[in-house]
Amino acid sequence: MKAALIGAGQIAKQHLACLKELEGVEVGAVCDLSPATAAAAAERFGIPRWYTDHRAMLEAERPDVVHVTTPPSSHFPLATAALGAGAHVIVEKPASETMEQLRQMLRAAREAGRALVESHNYLFNVATRRILEEIDSGRAGNVVHVEAFIALDILGPSGFADPNLQHPALRMAGGAIADFLPHLASLAWRFVGAHRSAHPVWSRRARSPLPYDEFRAVVDAERGTASLAFSASAQPDAFWLRVYCERMQAATNLFETRLTFDRVLSGPRPLRPLRNGLREARDVRRASVGSLWRKLSGGPGSYDGLWEMLRGTYTALASGGEPPVGLREVEEVAELVEALKPREARS
Amino acid sequence: MRVLVTGANGFLGRHVVSALLARGHAVRAMVRPAASIDALGWPPSVEVFRADLRGGPLEAAFEGVGALVHLAAAVSGGEDAQFAATVGGTERLLSAMAASRTRRLVFCSSFSVYDWSRIDGTLDEDSPLQRAPDLYERDGYAIAKSWQERIVREAAARHGWDLVVLRPGWIWGREHGFLFGLGQRFGSVHLVFGPTTRLPLTHVENCASLFALCVDAPAASGRTYNVVDSDRIRIWRYLGDHLRRSQERGLRLPLPYRLGLTVARVAQATSRWIFDGKGKLPGVLVPCRFEARFKPLRFPTRTERELGWTPPLSYEECLERTYGPPAVAAAPPALTESERPADPPMTTPERAGVPGRAAAS
Repeated sequence: MKAALIGAGQIAKQHLACLKELEGVEVGAVCDLSPATAAAAAERFGIPRWYTDHRAMLEAERPDVVHVTTPPSSHFPLATAALGAGAHVIVEKPASETMEQLRQMLRAAREAGRALVESHNYLFNVATRRILEEIDSGRAGNVVHVEAFIALDILGPSGFADPNLQHPALRMAGGAIADFLPHLASLAWRFVGAHRSAHPVWSRRARSPLPYDEFRAVVDAERGTASLAFSASAQPDAFWLRVYCERMQAATNLFETRLTFDRVLSGPRPLRPLRNGLREARDVRRASVGSLWRKLSGGPGSYDGLWEMLRGTYTALASGGEPPVGLREVEEVAELVEALKPREARS
Repeated sequence: MRVLVTGANGFLGRHVVSALLARGHAVRAMVRPAASIDALGWPPSVEVFRADLRGGPLEAAFEGVGALVHLAAAVSGGEDAQFAATVGGTERLLSAMAASRTRRLVFCSSFSVYDWSRIDGTLDEDSPLQRAPDLYERDGYAIAKSWQERIVREAAARHGWDLVVLRPGWIWGREHGFLFGLGQRFGSVHLVFGPTTRLPLTHVENCASLFALCVDAPAASGRTYNVVDSDRIRIWRYLGDHLRRSQERGLRLPLPYRLGLTVARVAQATSRWIFDGKGKLPGVLVPCRFEARFKPLRFPTRTERELGWTPPLSYEECLERTYGPPAVAAAPPALTESERPADPPMTTPERAGVPGRAAAS
């Protein structure tokens, strides 16, 4: 399959590094408004052509799949153009800035019979998949509640809180945190289903250009409840996912490799804490070595979910199957994101 | 001549501003919107233009400008952020220059653009530059500076600009006494790979004086120069002077350069073997990065022969400027009469600290 990519900065490198590893995928061209950025990406990843105009690229290259890896405000026109050119689209999160734009994109995808995959990459991390295996096998029982908590220092002067130039994410309702809502929402959706109601709390704790730097929410969903959070002040950086099931609890840090399970065990009740503790110690020890190993391996690191998602998407598209992130999922996750936004900003 | 200086409040930039003023030029200093410039002590004649190269209009910065001294580059942050700021910012700056009447550009490149692995014995202006694919083994700074020089040269050729490329060696000065080419620091222990290795030192005030000279030196047009005061100072001495004068506590542990490079090569080979060619190592264990920091070379320059430039300050004077009591204001090196620019300064100065017209935000 022939792929093309629009937006050659930051996250694009992860997409290109993954595509280089995929059999049967050829990246025909890359496009960026900055000629040097496009040319550097082409040079680095051995891509034959680069463009600064996405229309010219779509016209000349006729790609099967287009990756949209630009800042969120441009996702809608670029993804729409790519769908119009007959390509499947893989778009970075959030797929659009408003629900109305997303519905138009979904309509265009359905009418064209093309995939529109929003990057819900953390659903495909090794740890998330292992927890899902426990649940799907029936060993864990039903999910009761899921917690997702991102602790990430975004207050530094070189990123979202740059005092010299407004970061593109700050144009979104909720500011920088809005950039992370699709991660939180997609995890909630995957474990407890479509939401029925959501109760967000947005606040500002530190002095910075960010409109908000703290976020909490409680979500009532089809199959259980979720609590979602983002903190710019809680340290160290971590992405905690805790899943509470009827017979098992799992905890993982998605930025690393730590994954531990607590189970309802058979045998003498007083020994359960000891047995669970020993198992947890073993898992943490393995994960500590695993984290270092992962860093040294030169692989995707905490983007292993993105690589897995792209691998699954291309496999599905090549065989005419359903991609791992379907249109219904994209829509329902976006609806939850919409419900989580600050009240004054919901579209 | 009115000279536009980007990165004007940076470590080198503030001294370039002083050196330009000393040569009688009018200076328009471009600084970022949130930059604090009060402590720089610029005279009211310095026109401050506030803008971020990554966004906002830049065309007005070139009004009435005879030459651009482009120093701005990101020196920290991730690889992508450095590329976006250094290369993306330069693209926008060059577009604005192309729409102006400014034709002279003095560009600050770096020793990091050289392919140190392919250079033996002597590194000079004709030494090979780092190219793909090996370029992408280097750190984010080297990648960004290589691409920055590349697009500056392309733009200059396309628009027929009068380009001078200056590649400073290791720039040192007050609060910048420790250099990454001195060794690997572990707490207070300094592993010195090759204690007798010569350093391509340029003190920030000496370096700035050459930038100021190149703004209107006819002989510099179209030329590329490495900026090195002299390569007579070796790592062991410099690090000793630094530790003593800065009163930092530290132990120097001398190690053969070849031993360090061999360890890096073995580490890389092992990593590639284990991880099927894809392993990732700390920078000091990547051989090409190790060589770019520590390789023992000579660093001759042609600035004296072609431009008649010799560093105004001796090493001992530079030590005093770096570690001695701070001067009241950054005193630029004195000029001889023959060094003064022929053109009288032409400017309608605004007060320092007043935001520039277009990009004030």
